[in-house]
Amino acid sequence: MIRLKEQYKLLLPSLAITASIVAFPTVFLLYVSVHQWVLFIQEIRFIWLGNFYSILTSKEFIQSLRVTALFVTSTCALTLLFGLSLALILNEDLKGKGVFRSLFTLPAIIPPVVAGFAWKFLLNREVGFIGGFLFPLMGYKGSILGDPILALLSVIMADVWSRMPLMFLILLAGLQAISPEIYEAAEIDGAGYWKALRFVTLPSLRTAIIIALIIRFIDAINLFETIFVMTSGGPGIATQTLPLFGWKVGFQYFNLGEAAALAVLMLIMTIFISQALIRRMQK
Amino acid sequence: MSARKIWSRAVLYFVLILFLLFFLFPIVWLLLSSIKTHYQTLLIPPRLAFKPTLEAYRKLITGGMLKSFKNSLLIAAVDIVLALVLSLPAAYSLARFKSKFNENIGFWFLSIRMAPAFGVIVPVYIVIRNMRLLDTTFAVNVAHLLINLPFAIWLLKGYFEELPLEIEESALIDGASRLQTLIRVVIPTSMPMVVSVAILTFMFSWNEFLFAFVLTSNQGVTVPVLVASLAGTMTFDWPLMCAVSIGAMVPAFIFVFAVQRYIVRGLTLGALK
Repeated sequence: MIRLKEQYKLLLPSLAITASIVAFPTVFLLYVSVHQWVLFIQEIRFIWLGNFYSILTSKEFIQSLRVTALFVTSTCALTLLFGLSLALILNEDLKGKGVFRSLFTLPAIIPPVVAGFAWKFLLNREVGFIGGFLFPLMGYKGSILGDPILALLSVIMADVWSRMPLMFLILLAGLQAISPEIYEAAEIDGAGYWKALRFVTLPSLRTAIIIALIIRFIDAINLFETIFVMTSGGPGIATQTLPLFGWKVGFQYFNLGEAAALAVLMLIMTIFISQALIRRMQK
Repeated sequence: MSARKIWSRAVLYFVLILFLLFFLFPIVWLLLSSIKTHYQTLLIPPRLAFKPTLEAYRKLITGGMLKSFKNSLLIAAVDIVLALVLSLPAAYSLARFKSKFNENIGFWFLSIRMAPAFGVIVPVYIVIRNMRLLDTTFAVNVAHLLINLPFAIWLLKGYFEELPLEIEESALIDGASRLQTLIRVVIPTSMPMVVSVAILTFMFSWNEFLFAFVLTSNQGVTVPVLVASLAGTMTFDWPLMCAVSIGAMVPAFIFVFAVQRYIVRGLTLGALK
C-alpha cells in the first residue's frame, strides 16, 4: 500500500502545476472583488463588499440581468426543442441520414465571431439578404438590429444557430445508447410512437438532456462574442447581457474591482444553477 | 409501406429541409458573397447569376492576413500538446487517488470553465504584462491553456474513473510504475477519449476571441480577432470579410471531419457515464 502511494508521487507534479496555474486567477479574482480598484485613478483600497453593493444596486445591472435571463432561458429552451426534434428525426431509419447529420454539425465548428458576423451581414439594412431584401419585401423597412426587440430576437436566433448542433450531437449520442430491446417491449405492449416517446425514450434520455442543458447553460450565460460582434449590446443596452456589462465595467470604465465582483456573482449564479441541475440528474 | 407511413416520412423530410435551410443558408451566403465583387454584394435584390472572382481571397493573401491564420494554427497545436501532456497524468492521479479533497478539486477545476471570461482576463492580463509577453502567440497560449486544462482534466478524470481496474493491476503487479502504466496501458486503451479531448481543445482555441483580443494587438492576432476587427470598421469590405470568415471555417472543418467519429463517442464516454 505504501509502495503504491509512493508511485502516485510521479503524477502529483503535473497536478501541482495545473493547480497552481488555476489557483492564481481564482485567488486574484476574489482579492480584487473586495477592493476598490479603478485603473489609472486610485490607490487599491479594501472596501469589504462595497463593489458587490454598488453592482447589485445599479440599474444597469438589473436591466442586464433581465436581458440575460430572457436570453438564457429562450436560447436554452429553443436549442433543446430543436436539438431534440432533430435528434429524434435523424435517429429514425431515413435515407441520407448520415449526410444530414454531418451537415447539421457544421455550425458547431464555426467560430462564434464568424457566426455573429454572418448574421449581422444577413440582417444588414443596406446589403443583407434578410434585412435589406426579404424584410423590405414584406413591408418592414427599419433596421432589424436597431430595434430593441428585434435585436434581442436576432442575437437569440444567431446563438441558437451556432449552438444547437452541439445539443443535437449529445442528444443523438444519448438516443443511440438506448437499447432496442426496450422499444421491442414497448411495441409488444401496444405502445404507439408518441406513447413510446413519452414513456420510454424521454425517461431514458434524461441524463443526456440534463448534461446537454448544463453545458448549454454555462455557454449561454457566458456568451460574449456573438452579441459583441452583432450589436455590442445595443441599441442602447437592449441586448446587453451580463458578460457585456462586465466587459464595459472592466475595460471601458476600467473599474476592475466592480468587474471582478460581477464575475464572482455570475460564477456563484452559474455554480448554483448547474449544481441544482446536477442534483436533479443524480436523483 | 402504408399510406400513413409515407405521409409521415414526407413530413419528416419537410422538417429536415426547413432545418437545413436555416443552418446552411448563412454559410452558403458567405461563400457566395466571398466570390463577388464589392459592387455585386451591394445590389438589392441580390443577383444569383454573377461572374465569380477570387479577388477577395487574393486580397486576404497579399494583405498580410495569413499571419493570423498561422498564429491561430500554432496556438491551437501547442495548446493541444500542452493540455494533453499536463492533463493526462493529473486526471489519472485524481481518478485513482481518492479523497474528499480530490472531489472538491475536480469541481474547482470545472468552475474555472464556468467563470465569465472577463473575470479571468484581468489576472491573466496582469501576469502577461509583467512577463512582457503581450502581443505574442505564447501569451494567448497560456490564456487558452488556463481554460482548456481544467476542462480536459475534468473530462478525463470522469473517463478514467469508469475504466476497469483489472488491466492496470496486472501491469502494476508486473512491477511497472504508475506513470509507466499510464503511458503503456491506460492511454492506448483510451485513445478515442484522448482524441475527443484534443478536438475540444482545438475548437476552443480556434474559436476563442476575448483573451486573444485583449492580449494581442498586432503580431499575435488570431483569426477571430481579425474577423471582429474587420467587422467593427465602418467601411465594410463585404467580400473580404466573407472570405476571411470562410477561411476561419476551413481548418476547423478539415480537422473535425477527419476525426468526426470520435466526437460523439468522446462526448458519450466523457459526459454520459
